[in-house]
Amino acid sequence: MSKIAYGRLCLALVALAAGGDMARPAVGAAGGESQIAVIASNFDRVSAIDGNRLRNIYLRKIFLNADDRAYVPVNLPPVAWLRSAFSSAILHMNASQLQTYWDRQYFQGISPPYVLKSQAAVAKFVAVTPGAIGYVQPCFLTPKVHVILLIPIDSTSARSRHRCPPQAAR
Amino acid sequence: MIAPTRASTLRAVALLCVSAAPALCPWPALAADAATPSQPYQMGQGLYFPAQALRVGGYADLQYYGPDQKHSALSLEDLSLFLTKDVGSRWKFFTETELSDALSISHHQTKTKSATVDMQRLYADYRASDVATIRFGKFLTPVGQWNLVHADPLVWTTSRPLTTTAAFSRHMNGAMMYGTVTLSHNDVDYWLFVDDGKSLSFTSGDDDAYDAFGATSKLTNDFQHAVGGQFLYHLLDDRLSLGASLLRYELKNPRQQYRLAGLDFDWTGRFAEWSGEAVYRTADNAQTPDEYGGFLQAVVPLPRDLYLVGRYERYRNSLPRKTTAVETLGINYRPLPSIVVKFERIEGSNNDPFVPSGWFASLGLLF
Repeated sequence: MSKIAYGRLCLALVALAAGGDMARPAVGAAGGESQIAVIASNFDRVSAIDGNRLRNIYLRKIFLNADDRAYVPVNLPPVAWLRSAFSSAILHMNASQLQTYWDRQYFQGISPPYVLKSQAAVAKFVAVTPGAIGYVQPCFLTPKVHVILLIPIDSTSARSRHRCPPQAAR
Repeated sequence: MIAPTRASTLRAVALLCVSAAPALCPWPALAADAATPSQPYQMGQGLYFPAQALRVGGYADLQYYGPDQKHSALSLEDLSLFLTKDVGSRWKFFTETELSDALSISHHQTKTKSATVDMQRLYADYRASDVATIRFGKFLTPVGQWNLVHADPLVWTTSRPLTTTAAFSRHMNGAMMYGTVTLSHNDVDYWLFVDDGKSLSFTSGDDDAYDAFGATSKLTNDFQHAVGGQFLYHLLDDRLSLGASLLRYELKNPRQQYRLAGLDFDWTGRFAEWSGEAVYRTADNAQTPDEYGGFLQAVVPLPRDLYLVGRYERYRNSLPRKTTAVETLGINYRPLPSIVVKFERIEGSNNDPFVPSGWFASLGLLF
């Protein structure tokens, strides 16, 4: 399959996952890179999630999903631009606030989400882990995961600075 | 929906090993393949063993006490070890074991005799639902915010406000239900708890109030029984939190029934962080006077990882019957998120029996 065709397939999957839900923006070929796709494993029944619930999963305030499995949220490294965009859009906290939050949670025996080194690693991990939730650019989607939320991000900066690399999802 | 299999779980652990903890991975070949593996140990987040779902960490602090008109001292005040173990998706076990006063150097004397090992916390959590977790064991009393995060590296001053410890026991032995519910897009954390210190005791000895170095009055407040709750409402994307606590309890000594109400807040503004707590306690015995107090604290970030800290506290004790005012001015240096160096000056009126005036400093480390 050519790179272009594969990219179109990824975007089509995103559009399919978002289909019919007015609360979630539809993804077009031009807009895919200005969104964050929150993904879950195909093992899980969850088809959609709202921002508040996602926030509390990432802050480790909610632990169990509808299938009675532990949520396993995964993060990108602190230096990743997508993590900053995700934290700003969903967690509504800056790095300093999050540091304070996690230091305090550590004292209560609660640890922050696991950190995986790349979007490709996130997509792979989520694909094989029941209960896992991660976030990637749409071009990193694979058929083994499904999109449960699309988060719009600043399109001009995201598109100009962070285009999907070729062969992103393999 | 595809049913999860053991094989898929193993693949997930393998992937996690590759990305998060290669040194502990049961599949070394996979770990070796990781291009830029992160470390299994992270300062301030402990050491994680993914195959055992076990995390080991803790904190330590070295404190300098220089009360006016008394000898100064240097003390390895706390060395606390946390163990957190997840069992399945619903159970979590947590212990905090503390070595206190391990080493004290004072007036040409080095002492280790006062060292004590204590089980500060020991509990099991059962995640009953999205909004409710049940806790059994010994845990921190949820009254105000300071007591829940009292470790030296997590608070802004070496000294501790009387409001956060004088009127109620720092720990409970019993059960608690807690969780977070969302109301109008804002989170509300809640804690409902019951203590039966008379029948349950996970450690020996009394759980008296925190006593400052050089204090001559020891405050006792060990619970015999207690029941209560606390709510914490988060607003403005967590930049503002407002809390309220209610507690009814009986102390071991003096054996009396009390009611306590508390309020607290924390607001992170653009130029400063403001926080405060207040408590009001009444005794069922009309002979015992009310006890009440509160503090207001401001923290201003400065350049080069420095923070200026100011706090004013006023506290009215019932035994001994005295009103204490304490002013604290200090500076924090936080070169790394998990390391803090503090230096502060305490002044006040009627404060020497509880929080002596003087110079104090500490080095705290989350590890």
